[in-house]
Amino acid sequence: MAFTSASFIVLTIASVLLYYIVPKKAQWCILLLASAAFYMAGSVKAFAWVVLVAGMTWVTGLILGRYNAIKPADKAQKAQIQHKKKQIAIICAVCCFGLLYAMKYWNFTLELLPSALGNHIPRWDFVVPLGLSFFIFQSMSYVIDVYRGKYAPERNPLRYSLFVSFFPQMVQGPISRFDQLAPQLTAERKLCWDDLQIGIQLALWGYFKKIVIADRAAVLVNNVIMENCPYGGAVIALGILFYCIQLYCDFSGGIDITRGVARMFGIDMTLNFRQPLFSTSLTDYWRRWHITLGAWMRDYVFYPLAFSKPFGKLGKWARKHFKGMMGKICATSTATFIVYLIIGIWHGANFRYIAFGLWNGILITASLLMERRFLSWKEKLHINDKSTGWRIFMTVRTFGLVFIGRYFTRAPRLKTVFTLLGTTVLHPHFSEFTSVVPTLGLGISDFIIIFVGILIVHGVEFFEERGTDVQAWLNERPALMQLTVLTVSLVVLLLFGIFRAGYISSEFIYKQF
Amino acid sequence: MNAKKWVLSLPVIVLILAALLAGFNYVTDPFGAFGDRFMQWFSYDETNNPRAAKISYLEQHHDEYDSYFLGCSSTSSLPTESFNEMLNAKFYNLIMYGADMKDCEKIANYLIDNYTVKNLVLNVYLDNGLTYDDESNKLTHSLHYKTDPDMSALSYYSRFLLADPRYGYQKLVNKKKDTLMPQSFDVFDEQTGAYDKRVRDVEPIGSTADYLNAYPVFTNYPNHEPLHLYKTEACMQSVAAIRKVCEENGVNLIVLTAPVYTDYYKNFYDEDITNFYESLAKVTDYWDFSSSSVSSEPRFFYDSTHFRNNIGEMMAARIAEKEYPDFTPAITAIPSDFGTYVTADTPHDYFTQRPAPRTDDDTAVQVPVLTWHQLTEDVSGSATISPETFRKQIQALSDAGCNTISLEQLRDYVYNGTPLPEKPIVLTFDDGYLSNYEDAFPVLGEYNMKATIFAIGVSIGKDTYKDTDHAMTPHFGAAEMQEMVDSGLISIQSHTYDMHQWPPFEDGNDRVRETLAQLPGESDADYEAAVKADIQQSQQAIEPITGEKVNALSYPEGAYGTLTMDALRSQGIELTFTTQPGVNAIVQGLPQTLYSMHRITMTEDTNMDEFLAELAK
Amino acid sequence: MREKIIEILNEICPGNDFENETAIIDDGIIDSLDIVAVISELMEEFDVQLGVNDLTPENFNSVDAIVELIENAQD
Repeated sequence: MAFTSASFIVLTIASVLLYYIVPKKAQWCILLLASAAFYMAGSVKAFAWVVLVAGMTWVTGLILGRYNAIKPADKAQKAQIQHKKKQIAIICAVCCFGLLYAMKYWNFTLELLPSALGNHIPRWDFVVPLGLSFFIFQSMSYVIDVYRGKYAPERNPLRYSLFVSFFPQMVQGPISRFDQLAPQLTAERKLCWDDLQIGIQLALWGYFKKIVIADRAAVLVNNVIMENCPYGGAVIALGILFYCIQLYCDFSGGIDITRGVARMFGIDMTLNFRQPLFSTSLTDYWRRWHITLGAWMRDYVFYPLAFSKPFGKLGKWARKHFKGMMGKICATSTATFIVYLIIGIWHGANFRYIAFGLWNGILITASLLMERRFLSWKEKLHINDKSTGWRIFMTVRTFGLVFIGRYFTRAPRLKTVFTLLGTTVLHPHFSEFTSVVPTLGLGISDFIIIFVGILIVHGVEFFEERGTDVQAWLNERPALMQLTVLTVSLVVLLLFGIFRAGYISSEFIYKQF
Repeated sequence: MNAKKWVLSLPVIVLILAALLAGFNYVTDPFGAFGDRFMQWFSYDETNNPRAAKISYLEQHHDEYDSYFLGCSSTSSLPTESFNEMLNAKFYNLIMYGADMKDCEKIANYLIDNYTVKNLVLNVYLDNGLTYDDESNKLTHSLHYKTDPDMSALSYYSRFLLADPRYGYQKLVNKKKDTLMPQSFDVFDEQTGAYDKRVRDVEPIGSTADYLNAYPVFTNYPNHEPLHLYKTEACMQSVAAIRKVCEENGVNLIVLTAPVYTDYYKNFYDEDITNFYESLAKVTDYWDFSSSSVSSEPRFFYDSTHFRNNIGEMMAARIAEKEYPDFTPAITAIPSDFGTYVTADTPHDYFTQRPAPRTDDDTAVQVPVLTWHQLTEDVSGSATISPETFRKQIQALSDAGCNTISLEQLRDYVYNGTPLPEKPIVLTFDDGYLSNYEDAFPVLGEYNMKATIFAIGVSIGKDTYKDTDHAMTPHFGAAEMQEMVDSGLISIQSHTYDMHQWPPFEDGNDRVRETLAQLPGESDADYEAAVKADIQQSQQAIEPITGEKVNALSYPEGAYGTLTMDALRSQGIELTFTTQPGVNAIVQGLPQTLYSMHRITMTEDTNMDEFLAELAK
Repeated sequence: MREKIIEILNEICPGNDFENETAIIDDGIIDSLDIVAVISELMEEFDVQLGVNDLTPENFNSVDAIVELIENAQD
């Protein structure tokens, strides 16, 4: 069920109405029913996978909780309990990530094997369930947190299932944490008009980004970025630029819809984007883009890795052999590199995603190792890093690096990535701007709409970045202005979004990741 | 404004916007879903969605019809008038582009249940084995809910009331651009329901090479990997259902298979094609026009899949031959292998036949048309020639073995297949000067050669310019005309009645018509009326004297437009001549090859040796 | 111990007043990478074992908190 489908909107309206009508004790059941309906509407088989994962992690949580409750008599028993817990958590992790691996990466692995061998192993052609990696990551964070003793496990399997399957976040996250989300899901609430207003506004904003900007930009992207692309570098670069626009507006728009819908139930979901356009470095970018994935990777991959025994040894070894900073951060840099590599692979089963991981990993690790040198250069050149000019330079530079990275995520395969990059640099053919661009499926009006749309998005984010709450500001304007803005927004959504020529409700780019 | 008011105003605004949208869509009705009450522009609506709009049209007009053509777009070329005459019926063409047999079945049921239906002509095309019960785009392919038991009125109304307002807006914009002739947005003829092919039906066609050049689709035919006709069985079940409902209700059902262009067959697996037609024979007898020499002649097709209206006339003629002998068809020059009545007993081998591939051999007869104006000793320019030179030219043509033919012979060849002599040639004179009678006619008589004189109606028998004292070259009168026609050699045809005016003599007339072309700023309707009136006058001026039909015209100065030819055709003009030099490629069964024919102007300086050598090529 | 900790913090994230800071993590003065480096240094310096479980913002938001964390670990 796509966010842009009428059935999603009907489901949302119906569940919001019911949510505030039923007795408060039953409110969370409405959310659970709505979530089940959402998933069943897509595929019953896929629904079974959610139930399986939820069931497995719930049971694991209970067992881990039981061990946590034991007060160890001595160190030996403590170690024994710790060992048991570890075993259980590892079994659960292997099952969950094994499932993820089987569904998303098995066929890719087969392709890597020599064909004589690969052809004899059956392929796994299951339909990948909607948002598979999102709910696996989310439930694994619960298991690990319980393992770490961060909180007690949830005893009620239905309440726990709601945490795993809460419908607005099923498609593309954000990846929530149990302690942050679960209490909100099961809380009892009075109707709060402010929440409804803010939620609806957030969702409308998300729809604007998604169907007015992203879906429109996608037309050009799909006509340019392909195998054997016949165009010159300038058009390819335009295609990738539009892909950046499409990806951001589609993904962050979808998250806004998610957060908006959740807010209508009074639920405050965690942020997934914080004005990534204003990033001043690639590290900064990954802290602002898909925040919950980064945080998940930090808490459940980076820290365990950095504190693991092999990394401890590596750190000691590095301290001995390298002087100064280099020796001190060698281990963390390696861990960082691995995390970005995994983030790359998380995007999909393809060499180009591995390359995407390497691209980010290498740049970020290199910048870590070079940090001191950069600082001294800056001092020598008398650069004030608080100045606006420097910030703009850094922002543009960061966008350039992200832009290049997007060649990896959009091109159909790794070889094409390099072909496209090569053409961009070597054969720009600027004259194609006038001859080719008008033939790429977008009319003048579409370019204007995208341009104005981007200006609006950028403008809003500019104020958000400066700390203004744009929504609050808007809701304090005179009634007439508010009604005008609302009416214009609806007309814009209707004319430039829903009724785009030959409009077919599109699917999220991120939902299969 | 507090949050509560804001939230509650949202549904109110949504409802207001929805109401505005629905109102706009209802008034403009770009798909003809609601009967187009306000604009009544069905040719536009049907272009957007023939399925819904045609039923809306019939809801208001079904008492004007009692018979229907039904099928996908190739059904369009079945000739309404000929079928009306043949079956003494009033046909409406319910062609719907991309129609599958499920659509046809639903509509046939609706027609028979709700309207008077005497005859139903069902066209089965290869594509009907490819798609069945398909609804790819809801707005343009949706059936009218009244004809579709699978659709509720509610979903129908909500679909069209809440449609993209740009369709309605576009209709308003196009209304301003509307002309008499069809454009891409109004391709249907409201009254007959068929595609309005007036533009393509008056286009000069010419040689195979010219045609392929103008329509490269036949050279680069859109072929793809062969497809399976998986829906054949479902399609035939619907045909059987239509046959059953027709039998139960006493409706005369004629099933036919339209001509398929030869290269189109390559898009399907051969055994699937055989199975398709053979399966059809099992459920009903039918007229098969699918594979014949017609399929290999690109000039018989408008485009890669649609055969010409002329071919529809041939189909009517073929059906009449067997079943309705009282009917006189417009065209009887029909390829002998075109049209077979297929029954369940037709042997299997019949269905494995495919048309020959297209060749570059031109089946056309090359016919040069020569033209002169005035014969005089006082030679100046290309419109005059001395009688001596004229005689020499005629002598040379005769020596070269050229056989002059009348326009009637030419017409007979195209329409009825009457053979032409070797080396046919047509001689013509423009304007109707007295010298044609005094100097040319005797020479032609001497050599027993036929010629056509295109006379300006208003100038017949005059030596002063119309209603003035201005002297002009003398024109022959009624007596001369009669004498020439009686000789059996000369035919008098039209050079317009008064659309070849001479500006210096047209005192006080600020809209001088020097030619048949549309005047700047003249509306299409005014122009069409002027042309029709002029031709009627011309025919009234000539026909009573000669006792012959005026069905040919030479364009003054060679000027004309699409609208001109269409207006002329409606007045019975079947041959027209320009001043463009060249030889004409004339094809049996293609009346268009008689339109806008090329002519070679013969002058005092024409070198006959070179000229004849050129002709011989 | 306090001085040593501040020295470590300053070495890894120069230019901050750690002495009076009470929201080192919450304000994003040191990020996830730096904190790993800090912890490695602390483990090296004070010969204690710290793990992922100790990685909460509360444990690192101020120098006092870090002192407490290490003292607990030394026990």
